[in-house]
Amino acid sequence: MILAHLRMRRRVALRAAGLLDDAEERAIAAHVESCARCRREDAELRAVVEALEADPRREAEPDLPLDVLVRRVELEVGEALVPHGRPRWWLVALPAAAAALAAVVLVPLVLEKLAPTDPAVVALPVPSLPVEETEGALDRLEHNLAREHAARYLSEARDVLVTVAASGVDCDREEGRLDVGEAPDRSRALLARRALLVEEEAVASARAVLDDVELALREVAELPACVRRRDVERLRDEVVRRHLLMRIRLTTRELEG
Amino acid sequence: MEPARVDSVSDRDLMARLAAGDRDALAPLMERHYRRLFRLCLGYLRNPEDALDVVQEAFVKAFLNAGRWDGSIEAGPWLSRVAVNLSIDRWRRNRRRQITFAPLVEDDHASTLATHGPGPDQGVVRRERRDRLDRALARLPARQRAVVVLRHYQDMSLEEIAQTLGMRLGTVKSSLHRALGRMRDTLRDARES
Repeated sequence: MILAHLRMRRRVALRAAGLLDDAEERAIAAHVESCARCRREDAELRAVVEALEADPRREAEPDLPLDVLVRRVELEVGEALVPHGRPRWWLVALPAAAAALAAVVLVPLVLEKLAPTDPAVVALPVPSLPVEETEGALDRLEHNLAREHAARYLSEARDVLVTVAASGVDCDREEGRLDVGEAPDRSRALLARRALLVEEEAVASARAVLDDVELALREVAELPACVRRRDVERLRDEVVRRHLLMRIRLTTRELEG
Repeated sequence: MEPARVDSVSDRDLMARLAAGDRDALAPLMERHYRRLFRLCLGYLRNPEDALDVVQEAFVKAFLNAGRWDGSIEAGPWLSRVAVNLSIDRWRRNRRRQITFAPLVEDDHASTLATHGPGPDQGVVRRERRDRLDRALARLPARQRAVVVLRHYQDMSLEEIAQTLGMRLGTVKSSLHRALGRMRDTLRDARES
């Protein structure tokens, strides 16, 4: 009886989601009529579905023309297909692998050292060290913040570089020139933030990418809003040759854990 | 460049061309699917910039992994699966970031108070409703959230959801049931608080 009722409740949810065929719909409607609890459940779940179906995001349009998106995808695909000159991904993967190995090998050793061997000591309560603990927590927070800041910076830098490298909108002012919009201004703002990024071991694995991104942003920062097509192409070739977009994605993921 | 004649070529043909390394097949495939995938990712991630970035990444992955597509599911659901997996990955990273940083409050008072369309009161109500829905979806586990989004933002049937997510039909049904129940509880709590 209870199991049958539970099965009915699942069907009540599927009914609210509009997923029952006519026969099931009739069967469940009859049950709902006779069961006050299911009736209430039915009304509440329908309200949830109504809220979902009234969400304007269901009909939202992307804020980027298709041709721009296609150019961006082609840029990344092109980059991925260029053979790697130097296996720079090691710069990201190696420190991460080393840290994982160290955790596996060293943590048990350290714990073993720290573990009390004298049974008399075991019986005593472990003294709490609030100051060290607080400092440790603050260190971890700073570490995480440094990595998060670097990840955000790289993510925004990536967007600027893609905007310029995939730019295909002709400038109104002059033929043979492309409009890169606010990319130079954004690059300058990002470079100002780059100076504030903490240079420490928290972001050590990202240093090579951070340096390459900085160079690329410096080039973009020097550009006028209306750029010669060949300058955009040169920058695009450089981004592709260095696999910069893919490296930024990998590094950002690594920083974000 | 001549516009691509999208309707005359099937998704399967385009995927076969992608698998053979033909970059010209990207544009017509994107033209067919990018709007749908954007709405899927937006339903999941709730942020248009993230959604667009994930759609971009999904097509890059589609090109690079087209050789692995064996045709056992259609290209549309396959692309949806790629987009859902990337959305789940992005969502988890965003969550970790929010744990470190204080939650970012989107300051859209200006748009709320704008005189176009509904008045300020209606704008506030709409915004509250949207925030409540965001919170209710945010509390769902990753897969349940995906099931809800595929059903209510993509109008997929249970079978299509199962195929897209590689889940059993029964699991999809129970996931949807649990997800709607959880959302009901969260929305109720929000109203009562």
